[in-house]
Amino acid sequence: MSSKTANPVMHSAAWRISLWATLAFAIGTMLVFAMLHRFVANDIQRRSDAWLTGEVEVLGDVADRTPKDRLYGQVVREVAELASREVPDKLRSNNNENDSVFFIQAGDDGTLKLWVGAGDGLPNLAAIRARKFISDVPCDLNVRGFNHPFRVASVRLDDGSHIYLGLSERDELRVLKNLRFRFFCLWLLIVLFGSAIVFFVTRRMLNHVREITEAASRIGQSDLSSRVPTGKRNDEVGHLALTLNHMLDRIESSMHQLHTITESLAHDLRSPLTAIRGKLEIVLSGDLKVEESEPIVSAIDELDRLTEFLNTSLDVAEAKADALRLSLTEVDLDELIRVMIDLYEPCMSEKGLRMNLRSSGPVTVLADAALLHRVISNLLDNELNHLPASCTVSIKLGASEDAATLIVEDDGPGFASEIGLHMFEQRVKGRDSKGHGLGLAFVKAVVRAHGGSVTASNRPEGGALLSISWPRETGEKIEAPHSLTLVNR
Amino acid sequence: MRLLLVEDEPEIQDFLKQPLANAGYEVDAAKDGRSAIQLASGKKYDVLIVDLGLPDQDGIDLILQLRRSGISSPVLILSARRSVDDRVKGLEQGGDDYLTKPFALAELLARLRNLLRRNLNTSEQATRFRVLDLELDFISRRASRGKEVLNLSPQEFVLLTYLCRHAGRVVTRSMLLSEVWGMRIQPNTNVVDVHIYRLRGKVDTEGREPLIRTLRGIGYVLKDR
Repeated sequence: MSSKTANPVMHSAAWRISLWATLAFAIGTMLVFAMLHRFVANDIQRRSDAWLTGEVEVLGDVADRTPKDRLYGQVVREVAELASREVPDKLRSNNNENDSVFFIQAGDDGTLKLWVGAGDGLPNLAAIRARKFISDVPCDLNVRGFNHPFRVASVRLDDGSHIYLGLSERDELRVLKNLRFRFFCLWLLIVLFGSAIVFFVTRRMLNHVREITEAASRIGQSDLSSRVPTGKRNDEVGHLALTLNHMLDRIESSMHQLHTITESLAHDLRSPLTAIRGKLEIVLSGDLKVEESEPIVSAIDELDRLTEFLNTSLDVAEAKADALRLSLTEVDLDELIRVMIDLYEPCMSEKGLRMNLRSSGPVTVLADAALLHRVISNLLDNELNHLPASCTVSIKLGASEDAATLIVEDDGPGFASEIGLHMFEQRVKGRDSKGHGLGLAFVKAVVRAHGGSVTASNRPEGGALLSISWPRETGEKIEAPHSLTLVNR
Repeated sequence: MRLLLVEDEPEIQDFLKQPLANAGYEVDAAKDGRSAIQLASGKKYDVLIVDLGLPDQDGIDLILQLRRSGISSPVLILSARRSVDDRVKGLEQGGDDYLTKPFALAELLARLRNLLRRNLNTSEQATRFRVLDLELDFISRRASRGKEVLNLSPQEFVLLTYLCRHAGRVVTRSMLLSEVWGMRIQPNTNVVDVHIYRLRGKVDTEGREPLIRTLRGIGYVLKDR
């Protein structure tokens, strides 16, 4: 458990929710940015293509009209250089050399007739000749010696030569790179900010759920009157709290009803019992002969047994309905068992029975002391009433971190086979039993009301074995989610 | 000793009055909370017996109300409830006592005496105790009859001490269980009887006057005269 509770935030639902939300959010915004980027890139290309086709046509026109004399080269070169200054998206560069635009007039036979641009134009022409151009659609061209591809448009002149106008994509790519960097920064910011918001909002929401869980776990068997906090919210969490409270209302009212019934039953029976017992006692305290007092004595005994039976059956009934009220205190089982042995030992040895205790020292449990006393005395009464002489009752008390184990075993005849699996049910008793058959039902009911368990069996070497496991932390029976365990402790 | 009995059941009122009067109490009875308050504000009572299930109000509320109006006499609470609720436990810690129905008369009387003795604050811290020729020494934790030292186990010494403190009066099995062993249980076996039987074997030896007497159906008495 320690490894799981080491980092409560990493295991909280708020963390998981915000992680998934962030992932979805990040992918979503990434897609949006990718589409934007694509749109911008297309737009830039469309603009540069429009410029290229426009310019190449103008240049073609100029080349066509200019007389083919000595000045032809001069004129066309100037026009081309003028055009190259109006390049779209051009960044101001320090060197005046224009390496972003080139102009080629190539003859029919593929010779370089006119060149405007950086270098001697031969690699450009070679690259152009390596491809076939459809005149009015600009396309990409990689030229040896340049890092960036060119966008090239061409036009065919009447004399059979071609004019090519190339525009470096360097500036375009730089613009897009810039854009991508800004997009990335913005995306990172949005995602971080968004995930932080999601995390804190869900944590606030789930804190409310945790408050409800904590409050609900505090509402134990003994305290059904408190309610989980509802707050002023009208959302799902608020509804959860309200529904829980309504459920508690109903449980409380049915518990209350059950208590009222059992209490009034107990009260209605006890008052006459008290009166009868008192009157019998008054008769007995007078001067009576032994044979006269005998029936009265046995009547008082019967009354006491009837009372005990009434108490026990009501306890069993309430415990089965999970309505047994426990007033928990810390009890040292070891000390209790020692006192019990002290109380029972003379009676046992009078019957020829031996008792021994094996205990590993003090074992503190949270228990309703009165009920626990009755459980132990029930077990020992059972042994006393059922074991034949010269048997041994062994009591073993052990403890682990979360449970105390009490084992009562004997080397007698064991549980009668006709009882079988029903020994914990009410009214089930062996053929020779003198009791009212409530003993083990009571033991089981009380142990279970405390969150423990009882098993009974016959030992392979003969004799009965009864094992009780008693939780040591009854206050925390409710399983809390891992994220809450730290808070609850 | 003036005693106020607050109990709505006429049957129980009736059978309690006579034995209480025999035990030396001047008994007034009230059948509900209202008349109890009237009576208690008129006279001073040394001890009160209050039933929890009164027709007009809860017994604990009545006790708290009496306490608020300055009545500090100890209260013996009679409860028909099986489990003792925490409020009764609170009162018990405040010096009052409780008894669940049905109860033995002897136990009721013993608890009343206890309450009064606690209230009078008489020191019982004597180091020696003597009943006829039986003598208990609490320092050496030894008991003797005449000149003969009795060979008692520590538990038997505690048991004999309790009987001696109530010498001449009846103690019941459930009193012994709760006072000597600290348990409110009702075993359906004769565990207490065997303890008394063994103790008697050591205290009332051959040739001596028997001190521990069994009152069948009621309890035991240690004779004091």
